Order: sequence, then C-alpha cells, then structure tokens
Amino acid sequence: MEQAELFSKVLKIISPFAKNQDALAKVGMDTHILDDLKVNSARLVDVVLAFEDEFGIEIADEDVDDVNTVGDAVRLIGAKLG
Amino acid sequence: MAELALRTRLALQLQRVVVATLAPLWAPALAVGMRLVLRWRIEGAREARAEYARIRATSRAPLLVCANHLTMVDSAIIAWALGSPGWYLLHPSSLPWNVPDRANFASRWWQRILVYLMKCIPIPRGGDRAEVAGVLHRLAWLLARGDVGLVFPEGGRSRTGRVERATSTYGVGRILGLVPGCRVLCVHLRGEGQEAFSRAPRRGERFHVALELFEPKSDATGLRRSLDLTRQVIGRLADLEQGFFDARR
Repeated sequence: MEQAELFSKVLKIISPFAKNQDALAKVGMDTHILDDLKVNSARLVDVVLAFEDEFGIEIADEDVDDVNTVGDAVRLIGAKLG
Repeated sequence: MAELALRTRLALQLQRVVVATLAPLWAPALAVGMRLVLRWRIEGAREARAEYARIRATSRAPLLVCANHLTMVDSAIIAWALGSPGWYLLHPSSLPWNVPDRANFASRWWQRILVYLMKCIPIPRGGDRAEVAGVLHRLAWLLARGDVGLVFPEGGRSRTGRVERATSTYGVGRILGLVPGCRVLCVHLRGEGQEAFSRAPRRGERFHVALELFEPKSDATGLRRSLDLTRQVIGRLADLEQGFFDARR
C-alpha cells in the first residue's frame, strides 16, 4: 500500500477522536496525535485497535509506545503490512 | 517483562529504603491529621485491614490495588483503610506505591520530594508514551518483587461520581500483562457525602470501604488483552460500587 493511501486511511481513523479541528485541517506526518490533534490519551488505545481492525494487523503494547505522530502510526502500520 | 536498567533498579531500591526509613516520621502524622484534624472515619476499616493483612500473609504473589477515584487524596485514605501506620512500619512492602499525575503532584521541587518520600513514581499522564511505559514497567518490576502498587483504573477522578467504564485507561491491563499471576485487590471507598468528585473529602466525612480480591485472566493478545484485563477490573469496581448503593437504599 502506498504511503499516501496509508496516510489517508490513518487520518480517517484518527479524525473522529481529534478534538482540535484546526490542527486536523493542516495535519501532516509530523502532527502529534495527543499534543496537536488533542486526542484523549485514554482513547489512543481505541485508535490503535481501529488500526488493527482496518489493516488486519496486531500491534503490541510496546509498539504503541513509539506512536507519537501521525507519521509514526503510518510507518508502524507500513512495517506491519510488510 | 523487559528488565529495567541497573540504574533504574538501584534508584527504586534506594527510594524503597528511604521511604521505609522516613515513614515513621510522616505516616503517623498523616494518620493523626486525617483522624483528628479532618475527623475522617472509615467504616469497615477493621475488617479491611484484617483482610489485607491476611492477603499479604498468605501469599507473596504480586498484588495490585485498584480503586475508584473521587478526590486528590484517595491514595492516602485507601492506604489508611488497608493498614495502620504501625502495621506498615512492620510491613513496609505492603505500603502501596502510587503513580500520581506528574503535572498535578510533582511539578515543583518540594512536591517531587514529598511524593518521593510518600512512595510515589509520578507519571506524565497523557504525555510521552515511552515515558508512561517506563513508569508502568517500574511499577510492574516492583510488583514482581513483592511490593504492592495502587492505581486508579479510571485514569482520573470520576467526573460523574460513579465508576466510569467508558473512560478507563488500559494502563492497568498493561501492568497486569507484565506481571504473570498478579492479583488485583479492588477497593471501593466512598464517603457518605461524596456524590461527585472533588479535591478532598469534607471535614468529618464518614467513609465506607469494600474489598474484593481476584486474578484477572485473558486469552486475548496484545492491546486487546490489556483492554480485556482493564475491563475486568473496572467491572469488579462497578459491582462493588453498586453494592454500596444497594446497601443504602
């Protein structure tokens, strides 16, 4: 899957959880999911579970520790998909 | 469970020694303050303390205390409900470690000293994921070595005044996943005047405490396992809470 397509799908999953619509409008790979998009940290797990369902992958607890930006999520999913 | 760095392990061991050494100074004063100055009373404390002492005496399996969360001083009240200062002096590993929010409890230098002495490992709630994971690993390491931890599965004070299943964090499940065989002691503590969350209970508050020990298990893997374990704990807490309200009808 192309990175642009992956980015688009990741964004679609994150969007409902984002409280900062301004940051969402100009989102990029470096946008911080918690700090910029203001996704509730407790809801990050729901975001990651949605990634698992959408892409048919399993993400370990340790993998989530490295997901800070949208780009981190895109790269993690890309790596899982091989 | 990933092994902690030697420096981290030594730092925790040092904190454990410092707390055990200095607790005789602050623990009785804290208990006196709660009992005589604030005039708080805990109904069922005698039974709760006996049950906690029995749990600790009969098994050295890892133990995590999980409680409902209504005020910013719940950790102190729960520790008081589970043991007297004198008992903790004889059983220092039974005084629970806490993981308070760094922003609220450890943003200033004197706060950091206080929480260090009160057996806390501040956590950057909602902060850097790797840093949060580091704190959870430290707590898991302590549990695996016979110490007791105290966490609030709801992740913060309940905004509705009731155990909130929807806002539960998965950190509790993650800790449990890191420590095989870890048991959970669910503690529901509520004052008769506590209808909603607040900074602290009112003066003269009369609390009621209820405990339930169980070992959560899950066949799921990864994040779903952590979430499943967390939901089991929250479910038990909600049941204890329901018991409190049913008894008062």
